[in-house]
Amino acid sequence: MTWTCEQTELQLIDYFDGLLQPAEQRAFDLHVNGCDRCTPLVASVSHAVASMHALPELETPPRLVYNILDATLGPRETATGWAAFLASVRSLASRRLAYGAFSLAATYLMIVTASGMNWKKPKLADLAPAAVARNTNRQAHLVYARGTKYVSDLRVVYEIQSRLRQDTDLPTNNESTMPETTPQKEPGRTDGTAPASPRQQNRARVPGDVLTAPGNRKVSGDVLTAAAHGNNASSCLLVLAEELPVLSGKLFFVLAEGRTR
Amino acid sequence: MEQDAQLVQQCLQGDGSAWEELVRQHSRRVFNICYRFTGNRTEAEDLSQDVFLRIYKTLGSYRSAYGGFATWMTSVTRNLLIDHYRRTKRDRITDSLDDAMPVVENKQSSARRPDEQALLGELSSQVQSALTKLSPELREAVVLRDLQQLDYSEIQTVLSVPEGTVKSRINRGRIELARILQQMGVRPS
Repeated sequence: MTWTCEQTELQLIDYFDGLLQPAEQRAFDLHVNGCDRCTPLVASVSHAVASMHALPELETPPRLVYNILDATLGPRETATGWAAFLASVRSLASRRLAYGAFSLAATYLMIVTASGMNWKKPKLADLAPAAVARNTNRQAHLVYARGTKYVSDLRVVYEIQSRLRQDTDLPTNNESTMPETTPQKEPGRTDGTAPASPRQQNRARVPGDVLTAPGNRKVSGDVLTAAAHGNNASSCLLVLAEELPVLSGKLFFVLAEGRTR
Repeated sequence: MEQDAQLVQQCLQGDGSAWEELVRQHSRRVFNICYRFTGNRTEAEDLSQDVFLRIYKTLGSYRSAYGGFATWMTSVTRNLLIDHYRRTKRDRITDSLDDAMPVVENKQSSARRPDEQALLGELSSQVQSALTKLSPELREAVVLRDLQQLDYSEIQTVLSVPEGTVKSRINRGRIELARILQQMGVRPS
């Protein structure tokens, strides 16, 4: 079968659709492969068709549908007055907005509290930069001091707690595995030797000594002696709790814990 | 197809939500045909709106025996595009004279909206530009076949010409498009 350049042009559509008969297809291929005019033609048309198939489908502009509906069904009813206000409020009721508002309020409250401003009775003078700086500085020092004191108090509480445990554990251990303690052994002392540390020495005195409390109150050593001899550490702690009012809550907690055991 | 016919019936009975559903389902297709034919986003939006207005007014004349609703809608779109093409022919002649002046051409190309620039890749914009240089009868045939993927019988219905003419126009349109792309420097790799 002979094939011409005109036939190639005319039959291109069938060639792309795959509708050429086998004999036509062979003649087409034979001609195109040997023709300087048809080879680039088929290649360029093939490229053009592929490029069109690759063109993306565009998204509809968002306002188009509403414009069409407005033009055909008429404009939608728009709320006015209170209805419009309520609609706008309802539109604000989203979870994201609520979270944002809550975060903003919390941040504001933290800043106000940190700057030492009394938010229950706000004053205009509190907003002056100098006042804000002074209050913030004061608050920072206060927080630091409270923190330091809290850590120190906790140390005392844990020391007393460990001593209380020692006191409660000793009688049972004496009978079984632990060696007998000497009569001179007192809380805070090691086996007849020097105190373990100056702090321990300060915490537990020998009978007859006087415990000096932070408030410069003197507590009779008899109480401690009686407590120690009676193996009643609770009464000893009661005294300490009286001397350290800040710790009283924690001490009573320790006592309660000891009693339940 | 049956769903479209049902929606049309509901529209004819005055159901606004059915009309809204029809618009939502077919607006993208209409917009794409308009855009590929005109090559201008704003014009395509206006024309799409006009198409649906015309469909809304002539919905009573639609018969399912005519073919699918989509084919009928494409036919309405094509008629409106041809009307628009004829109406704006004088403007385009002026534009083509302006295009010959390099300064004006640069001004026009820079005036294209950035979102349009981003929307079209380089090749896409070149193909779109080549499409708008085709004659309208070749352009509509190529757009319906190669972009809207209609079969020959549907295109025959839309264009109201014999199938042989449809195939001939598509074939000539593709060859012409390939020639324009080569002139623009777009060659197969």
